[in-house]
Amino acid sequence: MSQLSESILKETTVYLGPASKKFLERQTQAHLNGLQFDNLEIQHRDELVKWVGISAGLLIGKDKAAELATKIQRL
Amino acid sequence: MVSARHSLQTKLTASFVILILLISGLTFFYTYGATKSALKDTIQDELAQVAGVMATQVNGDSVILLKPGEENTTGFIAIRDQLVGMRANSKEITNAYIMKNSGNGIVFVVDDIYGTDPDAALIGESYTTGETSTIFEAMKSPVASKDFYTDKWGTFMSGYAPIRNSAGETVAVLGVDMTADKVIAKQDFIGYTIYLIMGLSALIAGLIIFYFSRTMIRDIRKLNDTAEKISMGDMSAMVEVQRNDEIGELASSFSRMVASLKIMMSDDDDKP
Repeated sequence: MSQLSESILKETTVYLGPASKKFLERQTQAHLNGLQFDNLEIQHRDELVKWVGISAGLLIGKDKAAELATKIQRL
Repeated sequence: MVSARHSLQTKLTASFVILILLISGLTFFYTYGATKSALKDTIQDELAQVAGVMATQVNGDSVILLKPGEENTTGFIAIRDQLVGMRANSKEITNAYIMKNSGNGIVFVVDDIYGTDPDAALIGESYTTGETSTIFEAMKSPVASKDFYTDKWGTFMSGYAPIRNSAGETVAVLGVDMTADKVIAKQDFIGYTIYLIMGLSALIAGLIIFYFSRTMIRDIRKLNDTAEKISMGDMSAMVEVQRNDEIGELASSFSRMVASLKIMMSDDDDKP
């Protein structure tokens, strides 16, 4: 797992709990051309941030999702 | 929905209000008792001081000349009027009089109500109550009653001071009375003031506790509502509690748990 993937997973777990890995995997595969989350690189970050903001909003509400997206953006 | 009787908010508010009332009540009784005692001491000092000041204004040589039956002499009238004038300067004092030791006990010499009140004491009229020991004590220096006493004129607290002649010898004692009603009214005023302040404090504290417990319970209810919706299969339910305290932490944990549950329960093809 890349260092970026690890940091994003750690941050996301605070908001989405133990299923975060599954959630992030789903985002990269669905929106980043089937990319494995473990192989995430810095150039994928912005696109992931966008989809995390949208998808997490359906789970934890828009405000918290935006908070999570901002945190990932800053990594 | 939990009934108001079993609600945590009711229990919290009631517990705190009872606690506040208990603390306020105990503080009230202690403060009131201490203040009452302090007020009594102050009044006693004041009475002794007033008597002391008034006694220095009276000519002891003139007092000693007055004999029974001389109530209408100019000497008596002059001293009585002097007492009336001095008493008028202090609205708290209801009577002023002069007594002396006749050898057989305490007797009146001048009563300032003579001529205006049929119950006024005459020259040589004996005075026998438990207060006589305090009057004997006043032959040396100004003193006040140890406590309220009752005689045929009413219930009083008094101050006494020695009247001296030109040779500096004590020839009589000047007494001033304050009615028990006035002292009790002062004590009651302090009591009511303390009671009012504590009552208001308890009320304000109760309202604050009610407000805080209400916001706390409201957020717990929100969490409970979300849990209930999810348990009934409504996966669109979200935790909408934003707090920075322990309930906020609970809400975050709960939100995390719910989010994970939603992710786990959704099929791979489903969003999100």
